[in-house]
Amino acid sequence: MFSAVALASFALIGFAVHELLSRDLARHQQEQVADRLADLQFMLEHGRSVDLVDRVHDKIAAVTSNGRTRYWLWSEDAVWRYGDDAERMADITRSKPGLLRLNMDSSRDQMALLAADIAATPVHPPLRLIAGIDTAPINQILRTFEIWLLPVMLCGALLVAALSYHVARVGLKPVAQLSADAQRIGPDNRAQRLRMPSLPLELAEFGSSFNSALDRLDTAYTQLESFNADVAHELRTPLANLIGQTQVALSRERDAVQLREVLQSNLEEIERLRTIVSDMLFLARAERGERAARRVDTSLAREIGKTVEFFDMLLDDAGLEVEVQGDANAAIETSLFHRAVTNLLQNAIQHAPRGARILAQVAATDEDVRVSVSNPSEPISAEQLPRLFDRFYRADASRSNSDANHGLGLAIVKAIASMHGGRVFARSEAGITTVGFSLGRSSGA
Amino acid sequence: MKVLIVEDERKTADYLQRGLTEQGCAVDVAYDGIDGQHLAVHHDHDVIVLDAMLPGLNGFELLRSLRAVKNTPVIMLTARDGVEDRVRGLRDGADDYLVKPFSFVELFARLQALTRRGRLQEATLLRVGGLSVDLIARRAVRDGQRLDLTAKEFALLALLARRQGEILSKTTIAELVWDMHFDSNTNVVEVAIKRLRAKIDAPFATPLLHTIRGMGYVLEERSAAA
Repeated sequence: MFSAVALASFALIGFAVHELLSRDLARHQQEQVADRLADLQFMLEHGRSVDLVDRVHDKIAAVTSNGRTRYWLWSEDAVWRYGDDAERMADITRSKPGLLRLNMDSSRDQMALLAADIAATPVHPPLRLIAGIDTAPINQILRTFEIWLLPVMLCGALLVAALSYHVARVGLKPVAQLSADAQRIGPDNRAQRLRMPSLPLELAEFGSSFNSALDRLDTAYTQLESFNADVAHELRTPLANLIGQTQVALSRERDAVQLREVLQSNLEEIERLRTIVSDMLFLARAERGERAARRVDTSLAREIGKTVEFFDMLLDDAGLEVEVQGDANAAIETSLFHRAVTNLLQNAIQHAPRGARILAQVAATDEDVRVSVSNPSEPISAEQLPRLFDRFYRADASRSNSDANHGLGLAIVKAIASMHGGRVFARSEAGITTVGFSLGRSSGA
Repeated sequence: MKVLIVEDERKTADYLQRGLTEQGCAVDVAYDGIDGQHLAVHHDHDVIVLDAMLPGLNGFELLRSLRAVKNTPVIMLTARDGVEDRVRGLRDGADDYLVKPFSFVELFARLQALTRRGRLQEATLLRVGGLSVDLIARRAVRDGQRLDLTAKEFALLALLARRQGEILSKTTIAELVWDMHFDSNTNVVEVAIKRLRAKIDAPFATPLLHTIRGMGYVLEERSAAA
């Protein structure tokens, strides 16, 4: 890859330089020939001495002594003629005006030729002057250049390829390290992170966001693990009861009344299992991103009122009162909303002291509508508050009443909030605990 | 009541058959979709209990082919909790659905509701033993003695009286009396029953409102032996 790119660039550069050079050399050659021609032309046009022919011949002899330059003179008058084959040269140059390259028969060399007609003067008849220079030196330069170009190019390409491979290797080493680190991350090795100090600046940001993504996943994974353990634990108690009491019942002869008693007790345990399973399924649905589908726009205070009515007798028994404050309309799936408010109220009823007043509030802002239930209670510590919505979390472990409450109530509130595009919140201030949820303003389809 | 059960899970089909037969129903059972379709189309039933996942022909397909010829009420049983299945069942012409695991009491109540649907107007004065419930005057009297009930207590009593002899689960009661359509883990219904019992049974010699442990409540006159 690198070598191909390097070779291509070098070939391109080589070609361009070769073109430039050969053009420049050609121009130089033309100038040289033109100079030679002009030199003698001037002498022929302006010379008035009687022995001009001898002086011209002398000059030509002097100039051409190095063998690189040659002249031909053609005239009707044989005295003025100069050079072998002068007539043929005159004919050739006449047929092709401008600079002419010609392979000379006599020598192996090529000559660049330029010709001019010189009008008759008092001292000579009309003449055709042809100047030529040997192209060999210039061709030699080009040939040398060409000979050297290929190996130099190849060496350069190889060098560049090697260098860039090396640079890439060194430059990408952190990436290889990242890759190796990432390879090691797995369910059994969740603490593994990308090593940050060895990363260059460009990769550090990527590394740290990747690491924090791993942290978040790890937290969720840990939660899921403990959640699985919790589920198993929750299911184990009713299962143990079922197995135990059925075994005891079957170990002796029992009469119908006793057997019925066992079956009834079993049924209660099974109901408990069923409730846990269907609540778990409900939570799983919310987790999968299911949204409340049949939403209707309705008054929240009215729906809360219905739920409070459901609790009337319980409230009466517990000597509690519920006050509904505020109202707003929102698009809700009523049965889900009732379920969430039921769980909040039940939570409040469980924790409020006798004779207390429970406050159910509806508050609307531009972004969302908030529904909350407040009740006087023991203060809840700041780190416990967000955990209230975790499944199977019980703030007061000692007071857990597993018959009435399997610890999914507020998790279900959270699920219902998210099904409505909302969130849950909880605070505990001045002996008042407030737990609630928001509903997204946009009414989903 | 003539019931057809189409359910491939043997254990489920068997207990449903036994339970419904004991409740006085005539029960046909099919263990796959093909047999089920044949029975459903060629015999007359008051109601069909149809499992959604069946070998041969699944519940939805069976329902569609049945609806092409008949309007027998159908209650679908879906194992998956997905809304998808429920919506699909109702769209294809199911009259009701239950999500597994469901309680037998619940199923029986729904079956009765489905077959009751479309019947002539119900009586407005209901009697259970010495108790009479006047649905129009909203008055309850036992042994000549007027019972002082709150509105919700009366609604609860009216429901139990209308369905006398039938076990009503807590979920059904919460649904029909308070319009709460979900399994709540509250003991609201228990408290309400306790209060109602204090008014209609406590002052009298024989109780009419009975608790069926683990299942629900029933209002009926029982002989002393029970």
